[in-house]
Amino acid sequence: MSKIYKNYTAYFIFVVPALLLYITFYLIPLFNSLRYSFTDWNGINDPVYTGFGNFAKALADEKFWVAFKNNAYFVGFSVFIQVPLIIFISIIVSGVKRFLGFYKLTVFLPSILSTASVSIIWKFIYAPEAGLLNQVLRTIGLDSWVKIWLGDEAYAIFAVLVTNGWQWTGFYIVLILAAIFAISKEVLEAGEIDGATGWTKARLLTIPLIRPVIGVTLLLSVTGAMKALDIVLIMTKGGPFGSTELMATYMYKQAYSMNDFGYANAIAIVITLFTALVTLGLQFFNNRSKEDAY
Amino acid sequence: MKKQSLLLAITALVALAGCSEKNAETTEKAIASSTTEVSKPASSDPFKMVLRHIHIRETALPTLKLLEEVVQKTEEEVPGLKFTLDGVEDTVNRNVKLKAEMASGTQPPIFSLFGGADTQNYSKAGRLLALNDIMAEVGIQDSFFDLREFTVDGKIYGLPESGYIEGFFYNKKLFADAGVEVPTTWDDLLVAMEKLKAKGITPLAMGAGGGDGWVANMLVNNLMIALGGPSLQEGFASGATKWTDPAVVETFKRVADLVDKKYIDPNVLGLAFAEGQATFYTGKAAMLFDGSWAVNAIIGDTSVVKDSTGFFRFPDVDGAGDGYINGGWSNGYGFSADLKDNELQAVKAFIKNFYTLDNQARILGETNQIPAMKGITEVKGASELITMIGKQQGSAKGAYPAFDAFVQTSVKVELETIVQELLGGKIKPEAAAERMQKAQESANAEGK
Repeated sequence: MSKIYKNYTAYFIFVVPALLLYITFYLIPLFNSLRYSFTDWNGINDPVYTGFGNFAKALADEKFWVAFKNNAYFVGFSVFIQVPLIIFISIIVSGVKRFLGFYKLTVFLPSILSTASVSIIWKFIYAPEAGLLNQVLRTIGLDSWVKIWLGDEAYAIFAVLVTNGWQWTGFYIVLILAAIFAISKEVLEAGEIDGATGWTKARLLTIPLIRPVIGVTLLLSVTGAMKALDIVLIMTKGGPFGSTELMATYMYKQAYSMNDFGYANAIAIVITLFTALVTLGLQFFNNRSKEDAY
Repeated sequence: MKKQSLLLAITALVALAGCSEKNAETTEKAIASSTTEVSKPASSDPFKMVLRHIHIRETALPTLKLLEEVVQKTEEEVPGLKFTLDGVEDTVNRNVKLKAEMASGTQPPIFSLFGGADTQNYSKAGRLLALNDIMAEVGIQDSFFDLREFTVDGKIYGLPESGYIEGFFYNKKLFADAGVEVPTTWDDLLVAMEKLKAKGITPLAMGAGGGDGWVANMLVNNLMIALGGPSLQEGFASGATKWTDPAVVETFKRVADLVDKKYIDPNVLGLAFAEGQATFYTGKAAMLFDGSWAVNAIIGDTSVVKDSTGFFRFPDVDGAGDGYINGGWSNGYGFSADLKDNELQAVKAFIKNFYTLDNQARILGETNQIPAMKGITEVKGASELITMIGKQQGSAKGAYPAFDAFVQTSVKVELETIVQELLGGKIKPEAAAERMQKAQESANAEGK
């Protein structure tokens, strides 16, 4: 056995398949994308080198910044509304003595549905005339609150955010619940003996102890928010008039509606860079708060 | 050839004669296969060809049946040929699958193709087979109404399957209830809409939300040409005409007016194309501005207006384009330039069998679509509505294709966005015209 550990050929043999897959499906497409991002290419004819033209175009493109702003809404919604809500619900559910399985299943259910199904269900809910939301508002006499949720610039992106939140909150709750249940009973009991109950216990014991999982939750939801595409593509296709466009849907539109594959690839690279920056920022924040904790 | 193969088989037999019992079976198989090869001519070697179509919806079943019959006939005529029918949803095929195949040169031998920019791009890349010679050989070179959208530099790269015209579908019962006559002028149309609205009826159904801005563009396109004449849209790309020309500004003003007066369904931006159609065929709105492809939905099982729908062409506006109708033949079949000899034979046979007057009469009678070929004299089973549409087409001065055949894709997409803004009351008509002209100039400068 110990011989294998010293045998570098064996290492190589074990690593090669994964490495090949990584190179084929990750590195090569990424470098191809980078290559095409410096060209003017309609997807069919030969690409023409244009230097940083596509990147300059993206920086000056108002519609791209609308899309960026919407991604920022997605990230902000995740960090400031969704994650605190997830922690709050998780702490409440963790204290439930009966029907815990039922609660866990109920909150987890939306995340096993495909985004396509979730988007279509919520499109029905938001439908102007027959939609559930407007029907309920009319029934309880709030006619002035009735809106064309997905067709009005002022509400469309928030309607999409709520749908996205509804779909993924349950998944993270189950993740956080697992972390809460993994806290050793002795620590919690010791805290209780010292007088930590209710929200004091949550604030001073539970949250600090599950901080690493909260960090992962933040990371996953923020990176998910940066590369979101499917939900908008199905619910609004970026409309009305581009007001719900995300960076990824804008990239898709440039490629498949406008045939501007060069520009689309440049946007893809910008998304990768922005996501990497946000992720690094979060890592930095996580590490610092970890140091502060000790 | 035969002798040679036989000789080879005998030589193989002799060489193997000394082999053991175990090999005897293999030897027999070798002889059998050699004999089969000998008995068939070389051209009958079996070969498969993919035929990509877009008739996958239930409403397209009659169209698919017709295609299958042609496929079967062609297989019988071309020895060894076996078609594989590959049905793909139309926008997925047009925007993703075929595009990717065209980029890598792996397009199927026969595929659904759109005219205009698609045909121009693919022909420039050398992927499309020029059909002029085949059409002359089959004798259909003068049979089509209009091949402009498939023609690049005099070469024809695709043949339309059927055509369309655009106009107003109207609910006869709701018109009668509101005491409204079929309008022949724009002013009549506005009066009719006012009367309908006063009765609590939504005058014009429309679903142009999300990615369906093109639905509203049909109305814009028709109004723009009625006011400015068919040459208006032909000059945008060359700079001969501008989006800031009075006809376009007036068009935007009139559309904004329809929105302000709530003549267009106020939910327009919250509804998709099909939902807009449904508003009409469930009897909730009096009119629908759409292409003749809407007939199948309007006379479909879920429609409550199948027996009470009429059609009228765009009313006169006292402009240069009065009497012209938006219509075209923009979807059909294209063929790969990269074909082997036997595949080329199959393509010729397919064209000969598919593009016949009999089939075109069936397209009209069974699938309720406008034929692409001239000369149909007798039609069985055509619905009353499609007959009415045919009459309206016949009464027009002429037809013009949709504006996107003449402008760059980025301009088309920009118009979708801007018209959605007009529908949402977010932009003034003059500002809309200026933004359109800016988009046009930038597209002209980029040369794409």
